[in-house]
Amino acid sequence: MSTPTESTTNFAAISRLLQFTDSTFPVGTFSFSNGLETAGFENMVKDADTLREFVWSQSLQAAYSDGVAAIHAHRAFLAGDYDGIVEADRMLMLFKMNDEARLMLKRMGKKFAELAKRLFSNPLIDRWLEEIKAEKTPGSFPVAQGISYAAAGVNEADLFVAHQYGVVNMVLSAALRCVKVSHYDTQKILFDLSERVEGLYKEASQMELKDMNAFFPELDILASLHEKGAMRMFMN
Amino acid sequence: MEFKESEKLKDTTIPEVDFSTAREMQPYLKEPPQMYVGAPGKHGYLRLGFELDRWGKSILRDLDRRVPLIAQQELYFDQEMPEMPCLYILSSGGPNVDGDRYQQDITVRKDAFAWVSTGAATKLAEMRFNYSGMIQNIVLEENAYLEFMPEPVIPCRHTRFISDTRLNVHPTATVFYSEIYMGGRKYYRDGELFEFDILSVCSHGERPDGEQLFREKFVIDPNVVPIRQLGVMGKFDVFANVIVMTPKEHADRIYAATDAFIDREKKIAVGITHLPNDAGLLFKVLGMEPGPVKKLVREFCSKVRMEVKGKPVPKEFPWR
Repeated sequence: MSTPTESTTNFAAISRLLQFTDSTFPVGTFSFSNGLETAGFENMVKDADTLREFVWSQSLQAAYSDGVAAIHAHRAFLAGDYDGIVEADRMLMLFKMNDEARLMLKRMGKKFAELAKRLFSNPLIDRWLEEIKAEKTPGSFPVAQGISYAAAGVNEADLFVAHQYGVVNMVLSAALRCVKVSHYDTQKILFDLSERVEGLYKEASQMELKDMNAFFPELDILASLHEKGAMRMFMN
Repeated sequence: MEFKESEKLKDTTIPEVDFSTAREMQPYLKEPPQMYVGAPGKHGYLRLGFELDRWGKSILRDLDRRVPLIAQQELYFDQEMPEMPCLYILSSGGPNVDGDRYQQDITVRKDAFAWVSTGAATKLAEMRFNYSGMIQNIVLEENAYLEFMPEPVIPCRHTRFISDTRLNVHPTATVFYSEIYMGGRKYYRDGELFEFDILSVCSHGERPDGEQLFREKFVIDPNVVPIRQLGVMGKFDVFANVIVMTPKEHADRIYAATDAFIDREKKIAVGITHLPNDAGLLFKVLGMEPGPVKKLVREFCSKVRMEVKGKPVPKEFPWR
């Protein structure tokens, strides 16, 4: 039986994982509707069941694109491979087809990098922030997550869990303000979807950057309506 | 620049088309016992080169092909742009079958213009051992213009299809590149919607100096992602994807002139957004039947042509 002193728990890493995903952390948990407002207006998302489907689509979409980029940035950071970090950043932005999503990822990424510069004393992070400011690299949020979590001692699988949690929670927080659902509903969805994250990680962790893919045309059209529309509570 | 004689004759072999390293095709790499991968008749190749002749007429100057792909004689039937060569790509083999490989290279030289389509829908047959793959290289030089508007692709039960399309486009040129995918043979027997094994479609844009602009990839595997889920295809059966690479000032005006909407009564939805790196626009349509989806794609093409060439796309022939 292990004693408390023999525990393999990385106390600092878990504490930082909680810190980075907390709503008081400037880029921890935030609301970005990802077309949910439009889906609500169009009566496509109207209750807990339809919200669950919508959130699951968002989760899958992020897992095989943003999630893959975050994993590759994490690996590149640990290998001290700056070019690898930039490659993950570049490939993700080539893949992001929606204008608002690109803007959101860049704003959040830069903000996270600015914070990371103060939290860690690390030349790779400093250089990345400088190149974001010089517009030499896009500075996307998943890449910022990948390198910051690596710097904090959080392992790759835990990074992926935190990334997925962020995606799901982001949409559910927005849902409380634009869909007829209760806190009980959103917490139940978050709780249930947690069971699927392991399967997503198994797939995403095997993918190369060139394998990033997404087929969510209905989400794309909703995002486009949101981008063009006058009705908006969130972003920009 | 004209095609040199030596360029035309230097190589009579055709490039290999191989997707065996693609992660999503790994389960589908068995050799078909009936006729091996890439056998004559199962490895189609088409090279089309459009350019201006000495009198300034846009013509099909370069053509090479291997069965089963056929390029018809270019015709000048577009009533709004009678100066534009219009060409149909046909396949003498019927549908794409198990282990088929294709490559299509289309070049539009400086200031030239063309319209390319297929004679009928591209059917992708049932496959049991391997897959059908296609590589496309579409190159547009300075101020060139291409409308690539093929008929829909219809997958069958257990179809496996992968494509890679490279759009190498000069900053002053415009390409309208559309694809329409049906969910399957909707009215065949009890219906075959979304019973294919996999469709993997990648389109990437770049500049002549090799600068990468965007990379769109969708892998549709109904066994992995629930296709009827809200956010994926939902209740829709037909999907169109249109890439327009064009200078930013054109793209901004086309974007402003194009509505995004969801029409719940007619069951059709349209979305539009800007491609990364000011490469142009991405336009998507979801619908129930190919007719209305094709009509919207054509109307969008008309907006693009009006913006770039100052002329609309004429009404579709009644038999198409």
